[in-house]
Amino acid sequence: MSLATGARGTVSAVVTEADTALAAGSGDVPVLATPRLLALAEAATVAAIAPHLARGQTSVGTAVHIEHRRATPVGAQVTADAELTSVDGPRLTFSVTARHVVGSAGGEPGDVIAAGTVERAVVDRARFLARLTG
Amino acid sequence: MTEVRAEMVANVWKVVASAGDTVADGDTLVILESMKMEIPVLAEAAGTVSRLAVNEGDVIQEGDLIAVID
Repeated sequence: MSLATGARGTVSAVVTEADTALAAGSGDVPVLATPRLLALAEAATVAAIAPHLARGQTSVGTAVHIEHRRATPVGAQVTADAELTSVDGPRLTFSVTARHVVGSAGGEPGDVIAAGTVERAVVDRARFLARLTG
Repeated sequence: MTEVRAEMVANVWKVVASAGDTVADGDTLVILESMKMEIPVLAEAAGTVSRLAVNEGDVIQEGDLIAVID
């Protein structure tokens, strides 16, 4: 494992009807759901470290703290950026930021729509799964 | 006598050593599970395990006694 602070990952998605709070059951308005935003942020953390994990290793989410500051409508493109800020043995902490991409639909493109931290643990994939069935 | 105590809240996943076992410094006594991670608890001294205070499936708190090595 060669995980070092500073590793970065980015993912991007266009908000669809399936990503709304209405569809996710996390609210009743047709804008990007907080859990979908969080999933995007977590995907960015996974992307940040994917090239640096040893064979057989994976990472699992352990804690999140996200401020969801602005609503984004269906059709908007959103990017999530993650940066690895702390490595404590298997415990990883990332800072995450999501933005509404300039030029995409609705709202106020360019704004930071969410920011926070995501913690993950590096585990052996096979042992992790075996523990659940053992 | 060396007491081995929990450094965090955890579930006891595997008890590896048994009372009466001879262990070396660094041998695994039990494996805890916390925050989805396996956390081995190691003997901090060579000797004989005179007491194993936890069972698989136990939930232990920070500071709880895990084992005693004489």
